[in-house]
Amino acid sequence: MIPAEGEPVPPNWPQTGDEIGAQDFGPFEPEALVRYAAVSGDDNPLHLDPEAAKAAGLAGLPVHGMLMLSCFEPFLMGWRRDLFIARLSAKFLRPVLAGEGIRLFGRVLRSQKVPIPELILRLTARGPNNDLAILAEAAVLHKARHQSS
Amino acid sequence: MTTAGDQAQATSAALAPEVDEKTALRLQAIRVRTEPGEVAAFFRETGGIGSGDFVPLTFPFRWLALPSIRGAILQVLGDGCLPVHEGQSFAYERGLKIDGEYVLAIEIRSTEKPQRLILKMTVSTDQGDVCARLETTLRIVRLAGEAQS
Repeated sequence: MIPAEGEPVPPNWPQTGDEIGAQDFGPFEPEALVRYAAVSGDDNPLHLDPEAAKAAGLAGLPVHGMLMLSCFEPFLMGWRRDLFIARLSAKFLRPVLAGEGIRLFGRVLRSQKVPIPELILRLTARGPNNDLAILAEAAVLHKARHQSS
Repeated sequence: MTTAGDQAQATSAALAPEVDEKTALRLQAIRVRTEPGEVAAFFRETGGIGSGDFVPLTFPFRWLALPSIRGAILQVLGDGCLPVHEGQSFAYERGLKIDGEYVLAIEIRSTEKPQRLILKMTVSTDQGDVCARLETTLRIVRLAGEAQS
């Protein structure tokens, strides 16, 4: 559940403007797309069938957007383990093709300490040539009092 | 007072595409379970770090592949088209537990100009407590060589 007001501010709570160190994920080989399709159920032929990708005007198999978006969670956990991602919104702007990887970046757009510790983050995933593949924002809370249901 | 969370919601809205919503289809409630083996496989394929003792943020997306939901999507989509994932958002009130049982509420909207499907999923406990809300935006791409119906 969402933390109650008055939660103590954790030590070293990030400040507005802080950067999250970039991290690489992938490259995502076609086999990885097949495995992701199996665990996610997203077997859209666009990601698995070169002919379907070609018919959609793509030069290769596009990596599942959700596979790339999923990388933001370990990215943020690698930054701080005490965060609960309350919201994540993303737009998929440019395909990343099989065999290519992404580099994730993050920055604190706003840091709040009261009534509860909360951060608004700008997150991006860039593909080859530094092309912007995903533009995202997240609202994260301190996990101390968070519980699963 | 505007909180960081409010700002995130506002920004999320700004990230969402403008749409001309046309029709809505609401599916009957669907019961799902965060089966431990499925969670572990998903965690492994999405770059999870740590012990994997939690349900990944994007895991609920896989429920869109359930036959009843997929069937409804394909029905709205029509022949000769592929869905291209354009945007995605997650908003969590509380995290999901491994081996937990949940109830899904699904709504599907379509838009004409541009042609998109917008899927809204609410994940709740048996007691009706909302855990998460997802919104998926799919652009509808007509395959090359397919006549417009």
